[in-house]
Amino acid sequence: MASSAPDQLTPVAPPVLKSRARRRNLIVLLALGLSVVALLSQGLLSSLNYFKTVDEALAQRHNIGTKIIRLEGLVKPHSITRTSTGASFFLTGSNGKVFVVSHGTPPQLFRGNIPVVVVGRFLTSTSASFDGTQIMVKHSSTYIAKHPKRVKAPNGTVR
Amino acid sequence: MNELGRRALGPLSLILLVSTFWLGYFVTPPDQVQGDLARLLYIHPAVAWVALYVSFGTAAIASAMYLWPRTRSESLDRIAHSAMEVSVFFIAITLITGSIWGRPTWGVWWAWDARLTSSAIFGVFGLGYLALRRANEDREIRARRSAVFCILTAINVPIIHFSVIWWKTLHQGASVFTSNRTLKVHGSMAFTLLLSFVAFTLTFFWFLRTRYRIEVAKDRQGHQKLVASIEQRRNEVPAT
Repeated sequence: MASSAPDQLTPVAPPVLKSRARRRNLIVLLALGLSVVALLSQGLLSSLNYFKTVDEALAQRHNIGTKIIRLEGLVKPHSITRTSTGASFFLTGSNGKVFVVSHGTPPQLFRGNIPVVVVGRFLTSTSASFDGTQIMVKHSSTYIAKHPKRVKAPNGTVR
Repeated sequence: MNELGRRALGPLSLILLVSTFWLGYFVTPPDQVQGDLARLLYIHPAVAWVALYVSFGTAAIASAMYLWPRTRSESLDRIAHSAMEVSVFFIAITLITGSIWGRPTWGVWWAWDARLTSSAIFGVFGLGYLALRRANEDREIRARRSAVFCILTAINVPIIHFSVIWWKTLHQGASVFTSNRTLKVHGSMAFTLLLSFVAFTLTFFWFLRTRYRIEVAKDRQGHQKLVASIEQRRNEVPAT
């Protein structure tokens, strides 16, 4: 074996690889940037606050007009009426209430005394009636065990 | 951790996961409002905890230590890479289980609220990190750029955490890490939830260790291939 062999094994600097790596980096960063911009424009920028509360919506009713909004409030107990196309009910805030006529099947958890977000629009800019196309239930973060074997006494207490 | 502890990590994680599922699906009572749907409580929050805090936290700390000249080492780069891969896996599970939970409870598979959107962005950043690693062949450049990228991604974590406080979201507020430190989950449900956090955290360490060992083996194999190639080239040199 020739003693000078290792000298001939000097690796060749790969300038092509460097530019390829740079190109790859740029592609990755560009794709990432585009994805984030797409997500932001779809989500955060247009809806940092996902909904307007009933009180906010009633206060800003003239500005909102008949634009599509997401309206949040508590479903007034015993106000739900099932209709042929969906349900109608009162949505309450701290200071006011809105009558909602919603089309489409309500979600599984929809019931009285539960917070919901309704997508839709006011019928007019002065109206307290809301035409809803979708109901979303905004459940709380509290979890309490259900006791199916407990019975309700005539005075309303649970035993 | 001694060798016995390391070997026990996998089986112990599995036992705790099975216990969590058993308690979650057969023992704990249904929730007053959500009924049996609330059983996803024993998967979704714990998986999100691992993705955002444990796994990504490990990657971010390892990345910061790599960028600090006094602590820089190849091991830290490997840990950051491995932890980030596990974080991407867990954030995917978080988004999937959240979507499965959202459909029957909210009535929609997805909502573009601040919590969900910022979590999706976190997932995209995680994939971006992994893509960035594959884009660079030089080990040092790759490690440095990935570490910087990981630190930048960390900005999103407090945004995700506080999104339900800062903005109005469809996603519920915190049940565990509440501002007044009260747990909003009751009785055996709370115990099972706590167990799920322990089980998934241990699972993370098991995954991390396995992924780290694969990375070490790959490096060793790469080095052996390099040595073999040099030897082969030496043998190819014609005798004079």
